[in-house]
Amino acid sequence: MTKANKALSKTYLEQPIPSAALAVFRLAFGLMLCGGVIRFWLRGWIDELYILPKHYFHYYGFEWVQPLGQYTYLLFFICGISALFFALGLFYRLSAVALFISFTYIELLDKTNYLNHYYFVSLVLFLMIWLPANVNLSLDGAMKPTIVRKYIPRWTTGSIRLMLAIVYCYAGLAKLNSDWLVHAMPLKLWLPAKNDLPLVGSLLNYVWVAYAFSWFGAVYDLSIPLLLLNRKTRRYAFVAVVVFHVATAILFPIGMFPYIMILSTLIFFDSKDIDRILMACKKRLNFITVANGKEMYTFAPLQKKALRALFICFFTIQLLLPWRYLLTPGELFWTEEGYRFSWRVMLMEKMGYAQFIVKDSSTGKQIAVNNADFLTPNQEKMMATQPDFLLQFAQILYNYYSQYGMSDPEVYATVYVSLNGRRSTLYTDSSVDLSKEKDSFRHKTWILDFKDKIYGL
Amino acid sequence: MMKNLLKSVLFAALFLPTTMLLHSCKKTTENPGNSTDNFDRGALLSNYTEGYIIPAYNNMENKISDLQSKVALFASSPDSASLSAVRLAWRSAYITWQGVDLLEFGPDESISLRSYFNIYPTTPSKINANITSGGYNLEEFGNKDAQGFPALDYLLNGIAGTDSEILSYYTTDAEAAKRKQYMKDIADKMLSKINAVKIAWETYKTDFVNNTATDANSSISIMTNAFVLYYERYLRAGKVGLPVGALTGVATPEITESFYTPDLCNELAIEALNSIEKFYTGTGYNNATDGLGYKDYLTTIGTKDNSNVLIADIISSELAEAKSTLSTFSPNLKQGITSDRTAVLNIYQQLQDVVPLLKVDLISALGISITYTDNDGD
Repeated sequence: MTKANKALSKTYLEQPIPSAALAVFRLAFGLMLCGGVIRFWLRGWIDELYILPKHYFHYYGFEWVQPLGQYTYLLFFICGISALFFALGLFYRLSAVALFISFTYIELLDKTNYLNHYYFVSLVLFLMIWLPANVNLSLDGAMKPTIVRKYIPRWTTGSIRLMLAIVYCYAGLAKLNSDWLVHAMPLKLWLPAKNDLPLVGSLLNYVWVAYAFSWFGAVYDLSIPLLLLNRKTRRYAFVAVVVFHVATAILFPIGMFPYIMILSTLIFFDSKDIDRILMACKKRLNFITVANGKEMYTFAPLQKKALRALFICFFTIQLLLPWRYLLTPGELFWTEEGYRFSWRVMLMEKMGYAQFIVKDSSTGKQIAVNNADFLTPNQEKMMATQPDFLLQFAQILYNYYSQYGMSDPEVYATVYVSLNGRRSTLYTDSSVDLSKEKDSFRHKTWILDFKDKIYGL
Repeated sequence: MMKNLLKSVLFAALFLPTTMLLHSCKKTTENPGNSTDNFDRGALLSNYTEGYIIPAYNNMENKISDLQSKVALFASSPDSASLSAVRLAWRSAYITWQGVDLLEFGPDESISLRSYFNIYPTTPSKINANITSGGYNLEEFGNKDAQGFPALDYLLNGIAGTDSEILSYYTTDAEAAKRKQYMKDIADKMLSKINAVKIAWETYKTDFVNNTATDANSSISIMTNAFVLYYERYLRAGKVGLPVGALTGVATPEITESFYTPDLCNELAIEALNSIEKFYTGTGYNNATDGLGYKDYLTTIGTKDNSNVLIADIISSELAEAKSTLSTFSPNLKQGITSDRTAVLNIYQQLQDVVPLLKVDLISALGISITYTDNDGD
């Protein structure tokens, strides 16, 4: 009995599939990230987002992640290089770990820059650390042919597929609310802002187009994982993926995300087909290393057990995390308690305005704060609509004015927020001294009630 | 599974046209005049350029030119007739300025007329030191509060108690010649600056109108940000909030606009508010055109409050309310912030009520981006 035959008798998740798909995914994902780092660098965003700001908004529990000043460039260099090595499959395990850590560290520096797709990248990189993505089409394999394997267990690519399916499904579920489906918000506001595009521009003025986009988006997100999984529909589904993400790339300033998603969905293609393509490529480009035997990659028994536990934990958390908002009262879109890390993408047009006042608690003397003296425009925008930012900014002000001679300053904020085209209303209790409030996962009682109702998930 | 999927797709296919149909019916009954042409940002920008910006700068240049010649006349023969002539020109130009101050974008972003026209409170000690030394440079940052309308206010109205005493500073005083030269230099500086902005706009306007995007560098974005910033910082805070000490609790009359001519400060504030209204509605500088403005755009977007009132109309009515309160207020603001502080705080509050509407509701509905960085809309 050959190894492959033996493997066939194993359970479904253990079944061998060609390692080609995971290897191609590794290559594409790594190159996209390397390109992303270069793009970020060339646009001057390292300076703008991670060196110039005077203050940073930390994630709860990650206050120890500190900006590195000029060394931030080194951090990005490490991130870019390890992405390249990752793509090439060179020192794979090390480069995967370095890429995951450097990328995640950058994202943890300032939650102002939180984007769902950065979070997605971090999660995929975490999974990739444990997967044998360098046993095919890799420089590691070229240098050490003994590690090359033609087959890997099905659950490896399966876990990447599952991650993508979770992203799409939760993004789709999040769209099942009255603002999105019944009012076509926020697309009704965003699309006319793009009506100067050539050809399709004038269409975007029409309300029915906003409805069509909203509904198509929801149906797309909810159905695309299944359509990609099914062999018969896969091709059409991939066309839909390309059309959908290219459309979003044209309409919205979402950077690399559409392209990362388009390439990521390649993981849904049959690994056998990708293997066939690789073998064909090998004929033309002789220098690339493509696995050609029958060997299957096997995990050591203990390793297998540990990974199983790790992956089950990981995906359980992924499945539960988006529902955590149910634990806090109030409208999620309004309080944003449990909004991040839940694949809620493009759901809100939210804008705020926050006027802070700092008062000397012994003399009663007070001054009005110009937010721009402390924050970048982007930080100010994020701060004015999100309670945890408001608290952190109050703390920044408290520290600043304590240092400049105020005794035990009190920090008050008058905040107005507008959500999805509703009239702006008072967002927080302006009589609460925010410098004395502590951040936590509990509901912040000083957030005023949402004056309307949004139905749905 | 596939069957269910098919079902939901079919359901969507049925539901979608129904929703649209319902919506379009609702829309036609509610707003029969709506046309998507109101979303034409090119037309909006063109109306602002031709209907407001260009005429405003032209008028401002005429007024400054008149002021400059009256200053020159006064300098060559300072008497009570030339003094009252230059005061009149100053007053008229200062009122006109209130319709120009909100335009600090495009060419004026780098030139900044405001820095040469209206940094107040002015600092008399600086003015006098400049006059004595004779070696001043009005381009220097440190001299922003020693020139423009506020400095002229001091020189024409505040330097002494009576007109004959004031005149003596330009006739018999040891530094009379230097003082007259300083006045002329201020007026010349103003004229050269307004002239530079006006000329720059002639070439800039094509680019301005053609840039119909909504990103951080687009015409609508820079114009709206300047407009909203002006309203918040220079009108609401500068003219009322800071002097009355709305946020600090302490009134400071010495920082009111036109400090040495207190009977003018209400008129300046009213004219400023008037200009904001004109600009918001797009009715044009001379009220001559009724082209596309923010209000039309916002009306077409159709955002409403809980009681189904268009936000476009709420902004109008809040502005009108603030203007009427301000117009009926007496005495002047400089006196009022101490003698009738509650009433001035009420004016401030009404001005303040418009801030979130402009800064949040308007900008949000226009779909303007504030940065170039990636954003996935959450």
